[in-house]
Amino acid sequence: MAVGSVDVTYRGIFQKSLASVITKALVKAARHEHKIGGTVQRYSDSPERNGIPAKQFAVIADEETSLRVEMAKYEPDTVVATCVLDDTLVKGLESWAWYGVQAVNASLSPGGVLLVVSERPIEELADWMPRADFDWRLAVLSRKTSFAGLWVYNDDGTDMEVLGALSRVTGGLVALESLVATAAAGSDAARRAELLESGFSSVQVAPISAGVGREWPYETPALPAWDEMGEGVAIRGVPKGERNMLFQKFTTRTARPVVDFDRCVRCQICYTVCPDEAFDPTPSGHYAVDYGHCCGCGICANACPVEGCIEMVDELAFSDNSDLHRIYEADPEGYGNLRQAALATAGGPVRHYGIF
Amino acid sequence: MATVAEALADLSVGRRLKVLPLEELYTSGHRTCQGCESALVMRYMAKVAGPRTVVTGTTGCMYVANTSYNSTPWVVPWAHTQLGAAGSSALGTAAGLEALMRKGKIPREKINVIAFCSDGGGGDMGLSGISAAMQDTRYNLLILLYDNESYANTDIQASGMTPWGAVTSFTPSGTKKKISQHRWKKNVPALLMAGHPQGRYFASASSGFGMDLMEKVRIALDVGGPTFVQTHDPCPKGWDFDPRRSHELAILAVECGITVLWDFLEGELRYQGVTRQLVEGALKRRPVAEYLQIQGRFAHFGDEEIDYFQSQIDEMWEQWLLPGVLPATAIPQELELGTAAGRGRSEDV
Repeated sequence: MAVGSVDVTYRGIFQKSLASVITKALVKAARHEHKIGGTVQRYSDSPERNGIPAKQFAVIADEETSLRVEMAKYEPDTVVATCVLDDTLVKGLESWAWYGVQAVNASLSPGGVLLVVSERPIEELADWMPRADFDWRLAVLSRKTSFAGLWVYNDDGTDMEVLGALSRVTGGLVALESLVATAAAGSDAARRAELLESGFSSVQVAPISAGVGREWPYETPALPAWDEMGEGVAIRGVPKGERNMLFQKFTTRTARPVVDFDRCVRCQICYTVCPDEAFDPTPSGHYAVDYGHCCGCGICANACPVEGCIEMVDELAFSDNSDLHRIYEADPEGYGNLRQAALATAGGPVRHYGIF
Repeated sequence: MATVAEALADLSVGRRLKVLPLEELYTSGHRTCQGCESALVMRYMAKVAGPRTVVTGTTGCMYVANTSYNSTPWVVPWAHTQLGAAGSSALGTAAGLEALMRKGKIPREKINVIAFCSDGGGGDMGLSGISAAMQDTRYNLLILLYDNESYANTDIQASGMTPWGAVTSFTPSGTKKKISQHRWKKNVPALLMAGHPQGRYFASASSGFGMDLMEKVRIALDVGGPTFVQTHDPCPKGWDFDPRRSHELAILAVECGITVLWDFLEGELRYQGVTRQLVEGALKRRPVAEYLQIQGRFAHFGDEEIDYFQSQIDEMWEQWLLPGVLPATAIPQELELGTAAGRGRSEDV
């Protein structure tokens, strides 16, 4: 190995400190093995916003020249492992650093591994995986997603378990012993070492063959060069009645509001309080959610005066952003069943799973 | 320009949600945080201002998150201006439009000019420019200050409007020194109102009370002249709370008496909504602990800090002549009209 990079994909702010701890710990462990390394932080979103998909990288090398070459790049071309800290990111991610929805395994190298922190079974997650041209592996660390705020670090052991799992699935990019010697050093060493061990031993791995998986539905939009833009770098405003289609916010979402239109009293509060203008008035007086632009903040569900009318449902219970109100209009009963099925798949309505 | 009476009469209709235009002039597709209340303020502002509006925005969240490369959520014309330049850009835009109309290059019509700024850009850096704009009565303009209580765009540094004790990147809480934000929050609308008697309208609003906020923006745009509206918007990232509670928190700040809804028009100071009920005693203030304990930036507060915070809010409500506006606790008797002090001055001349 001349150089090996790890990509940590996470939810902006909520998992920023977690991603930072993981990438830094990898580099420290590598130094313990007399290799060298560096981390790339704040690459994908600066300033970082709540919930937006973001990335940090750890680059580990045998000698300084290859490290410098790799660190000088905007981002590593390929990585030996991508670590996904929130499972709803498998639906795709769009951050500040790029336009268009990117596949979660986009930067994997052949034979690379995608480690997802999720409580879902590995088969279910495998169903979500985008297709690749080469054989690769999916690994799952069974854990509740760890979220925290900007000023608090959620020291729930996710960091150590992920590091232990990474050591195993990368085939010793950094050895478990080095992690025990570095990341677990200091206070609480025994507990940390135990968590590293448990991550190392409990991670499940499944091979995925080339050509197996979902076809990627998103295209990268073509952007004009600076000299193709208007004078003063002016751009066209959004035409009246339309939305900004060049950036849609849905990959920020971990849970989506699902409305029980039969219970809805048409009070308009959800529409009024939505900071993302995601509610569309309909002739029937209901407000349909534009799931392309909803970012799943949950303000509507919190503000809705009718108990159980707007529920936040885990994003992985839905495969696309289609208009649910249209389904309701066509078949109210069918919609009710669909809604119940989604709630059942997701394990009921979800609260934001932070430690707020 | 509508007269004040006309503007106010018209507004009673606007109170009903159903008659508000459904059309969005600041629309979806911005890169703000989950639960960003400042984005909601932009939406309300554009909605009530209508399509014949020019908006300029100073550097800050509402510039950076809204207009990333080649992409914008604005339907009305919008331009970026420098961090401290809200006042000068509003004045310049209004003067430019007036000149074009005077020279017959564009038809004479009412075009709203709004410059928005954040608490850092407006309350700290841009204060002199806003002050200059408030002194100039020739032009119609609105400065809207969206106050999220920190330099939120650059990852939460303390501004002059960050509340006492809050954790920011500049004011962390340590083991030996719990509090490092020692400054009490600056009251920008009151300071502008007191210092600029030529200004036509000053208001303090909250993102939690959309109708009140829209009413204030509309009065400001209708009365003409230099006007100023400030909004208080919770920032889930920097204040560190669950984004779903953003709107609730804005309302809670008013119910606790921390944010005060008032406006000043034609020499009259008025309180609105919940604040008015608090002033009149129809409603009891909720304890500030309810507001503070939701937020991670106050997570280091113990009973002592909460009590201090509460005592300051209590003092504002119980001692001040005008809560949230005038910190004087009594008017000295000799300042009353026609007293010796006044006569003494005229004899000297």
